[in-house]
Amino acid sequence: MKKTIQIPLGSQHISLLEPIRFKFECENEKIIGVDADVGFVHRGVELACTRSFEFKQVGYVVARVCGLCAITHSLSYTLAVEKLLGYVANDRIKYLRMLMVELDRIHSHMLCLAHTAENAGFEALFMQIMGDRELVMEVQEAISGNRVQFDYISIGGVNRDLTSELVDLVRKNLTTLSEKMEILTGLFDNNWSLSLKYKGVGVLTLEDAYTYNALGPLARASGLATDVRAETSDFPYEALGYTMMLESTGDIHARNFVRLREIVNSIAICRNIVDNLPMGEIQEKVKGKPKGEEIVRIEAPRGELFYLVRGNGTNTLERVRIKTPTFSGIPAMMEVFKGSQYADAPAILASFDPCMSCTAK
Amino acid sequence: MKFFTPFRKKSPWILHYNAGSCNGCDIEILAALGPKFDLERFGVINTGNPKQSDIFLVTGPVTYRSRERLVELYTQIPEPKVVVAVGSCTTTGGVFRGMYNVEDGIDRYIPVDVYIPGCASSPQLIIDALVKAGEILESKSKAIEKPFKLFGAIETIGNKLSRLNMAKKVHDDED
Ligand code: SF4
Repeated sequence: MKKTIQIPLGSQHISLLEPIRFKFECENEKIIGVDADVGFVHRGVELACTRSFEFKQVGYVVARVCGLCAITHSLSYTLAVEKLLGYVANDRIKYLRMLMVELDRIHSHMLCLAHTAENAGFEALFMQIMGDRELVMEVQEAISGNRVQFDYISIGGVNRDLTSELVDLVRKNLTTLSEKMEILTGLFDNNWSLSLKYKGVGVLTLEDAYTYNALGPLARASGLATDVRAETSDFPYEALGYTMMLESTGDIHARNFVRLREIVNSIAICRNIVDNLPMGEIQEKVKGKPKGEEIVRIEAPRGELFYLVRGNGTNTLERVRIKTPTFSGIPAMMEVFKGSQYADAPAILASFDPCMSCTAK
Repeated sequence: MKFFTPFRKKSPWILHYNAGSCNGCDIEILAALGPKFDLERFGVINTGNPKQSDIFLVTGPVTYRSRERLVELYTQIPEPKVVVAVGSCTTTGGVFRGMYNVEDGIDRYIPVDVYIPGCASSPQLIIDALVKAGEILESKSKAIEKPFKLFGAIETIGNKLSRLNMAKKVHDDED
């Protein structure tokens, strides 16, 4: 007689924001094998970027690969094209771009924390975090004009300037948010019932993180020091107070804590940016057509985002290759599921913060 | 079931399905359910079960692989039901229009009652649409509504449905 039972999760499920299907091989309550199917939302963005759109439009198209890290996508693409065109942005543009990326990171991490809480059964905590998150969304809407898809970055600059009223709003909301973050950090650290669901659940060891090429907060929670912000010099992160957040235990609790501390760090970076904003133009003329090949890496909220852009001197590009953090992280995620309880599966899944529309494109 | 009708009016439950969206509209739905916009004051609850739902909230331009699931979920929702298309790409295909793996909007597959524009559509618009959807839900009868197309993957259901004269099966090679 067969000892194991198969339990499917997805493709449509209350705990999933996006369609992904898991087939869990379970022995009683314990998961011993996982099979994932991620291709439900494949749309064919990469091909369309090289066929139906000109290179000036592609920045807005790749933003629609993912709504959560849209700004990172358009930033990576824009950087790649600007490198091909031999253009280096001035400091004001760099700072404004960084500001939006960090705001985006804050809201994305908060959504992940909220979603993990909801999937672990803490509905009130979900509501609390979603309520605090609106502070960031307000700032983003005021700066860029849209809450989610900003379309803020264009080739040669950014589309809107940061006025002094906006600076005041950013300062005010971020101050409120950092007070709320203190409360949340205390809650995540000390609450007993949260610790039951989070501590020691879904552990990814350092060796596994290394072997399976984990990325972003998932890797940093296991103690693997990898962060593109520290590895590349496209943006002056070090000067603006960036520090890498590392935990060692690798469970859901550690992943939550990496995110919480990164939010606090991002708030500090945003404050530094608005305090030290250099003067300059926000939009400069960039001439020419992209020719050659360029690689760009940017730290998205979920890890390293990789772009390859190849142009041949015409208006349409030859190749746009997008490698997203979730795609690279899937082997590590599969490893975590093995050996954990089936009832914890939704919370573990949410704690990876997977983004299927990124993965399938 | 006359008994349930007043409750359904007061508390329409939603089923959310992502048919290939970029997540932008999905997180706006979550934000609308959150405390600032507080969709739950209209009695709206997000369920994961089509059998308990009244309003079908779809995001995304319908990718090749999600269309079967879309139609299947739609047929599983009991009548009366209302379909809300959230976001530009759900209504027309939006930025994804013409890409090789997308079907340019859900109204090729299932009848849509409320369209929400915007990329991403804001929580305010989503609230407006759900209030509208609640009104439509009240005026709808229990008459059976069919999807425009059914696929091979739900053949068994399709056969059963076609015996009831509910749906006609259209083959894949048609499009
Ligand atoms: S309408 Fe825009 S934001 Fe909404 S799912 Fe479609 S592409 Fe994303």
